[in-house]
Amino acid sequence: MNCDEVRRSVQDYVTRELAPDDRRRFDAHLVECAECQRELALMTAVVSTLDHQPVLEPSADFSSRVLGSLSRQREFAPSPWWSLALAPLLAGAAWLARGPVERALETISSRPGLIHLSVPAVSLQQAGIAAGAIVVLGLLVAAGGAVFCWQTYLRD
Amino acid sequence: MFEYVESAPEEALVSRSARGDEQAFGVLVERYKGMLYSMAYRLMKDRGRAEDAAQESFIKAWAALPGFKGESKFSSWMYRICYNTCISELRKKRPEVELDEAMGVGVEGPAEEFRNRDIQAVIHDEVSRLPDDYRAALTLFHFNGLSYDEIARLAHKPMGTVKAQIHRGRALLKARLLERVGWDNLKEVMWQ
Ligand SMILES: [Zn+2]
Repeated sequence: MNCDEVRRSVQDYVTRELAPDDRRRFDAHLVECAECQRELALMTAVVSTLDHQPVLEPSADFSSRVLGSLSRQREFAPSPWWSLALAPLLAGAAWLARGPVERALETISSRPGLIHLSVPAVSLQQAGIAAGAIVVLGLLVAAGGAVFCWQTYLRD
Repeated sequence: MFEYVESAPEEALVSRSARGDEQAFGVLVERYKGMLYSMAYRLMKDRGRAEDAAQESFIKAWAALPGFKGESKFSSWMYRICYNTCISELRKKRPEVELDEAMGVGVEGPAEEFRNRDIQAVIHDEVSRLPDDYRAALTLFHFNGLSYDEIARLAHKPMGTVKAQIHRGRALLKARLLERVGWDNLKEVMWQ
């Protein structure tokens, strides 16, 4: 090897990526060339510094901040279980709102100049059926969500 | 509640985290925070931004974990997320940051007593002044211990480009070290 070849291979020599034959020829040149010895010393310093870069620590509350963000994400994430609680609530709300809605519609339709709306009378029985239907729908959504969740949970 | 120990096997922690176990993920955060933060700091040269990027990487990882199939090592997967987060942050227009005091070092003329530590400080300082591409490639290779091939896939660059960036980066560092410290000072330390 001459000086040019040594300069070109000095990095691979330091990182031990040079083929054994080339390594021997590199060594042979090195013993008789002070300039190339200097090149090798400098590159060794560079590579060894790069290889031994310390692991730095982030601030003390780093982990708690990360985990805190995860909890917030989870709190706002829609869970299928919510629909279980939501179903009777919706049914109850529909039941309670029945009277006021009826009265409001009557007031609007009785105003002159407006299109006449006819409000069918809702019996106690009909409202009960509607509430039941909402509960059943909510349970179905919840069951579907739960099945999806468990499939994800059990996947591995 | 079951307490995770520091030595819990990584696969177990990863699969439990994927199922939403925050405690298991907490152990992974503890285990990787130094690596991710250091990596982000070396790429971004700013402590505050590095912390933000490392934090964002963990949050992204948490969201993406159910899709992690274990095709690559978990560490490589985390490095990929962190690298992408940092690169997209670096691409955003930002005011040029002042180098952190810890990264900078002044070497004024021939020093009375120049030590190995000072050589390292100069090299670290010069690393922070390299073009972003070179610094990223050198960090992934030397600090994260990734292969040329892994870096090429991560950075979406041909392997030849990655190798060239690493080689040019080291050559620049060597030239700057010699320029700033001078051979007379260097050889005293190196060949003492
Ligand atoms: Zn020579």
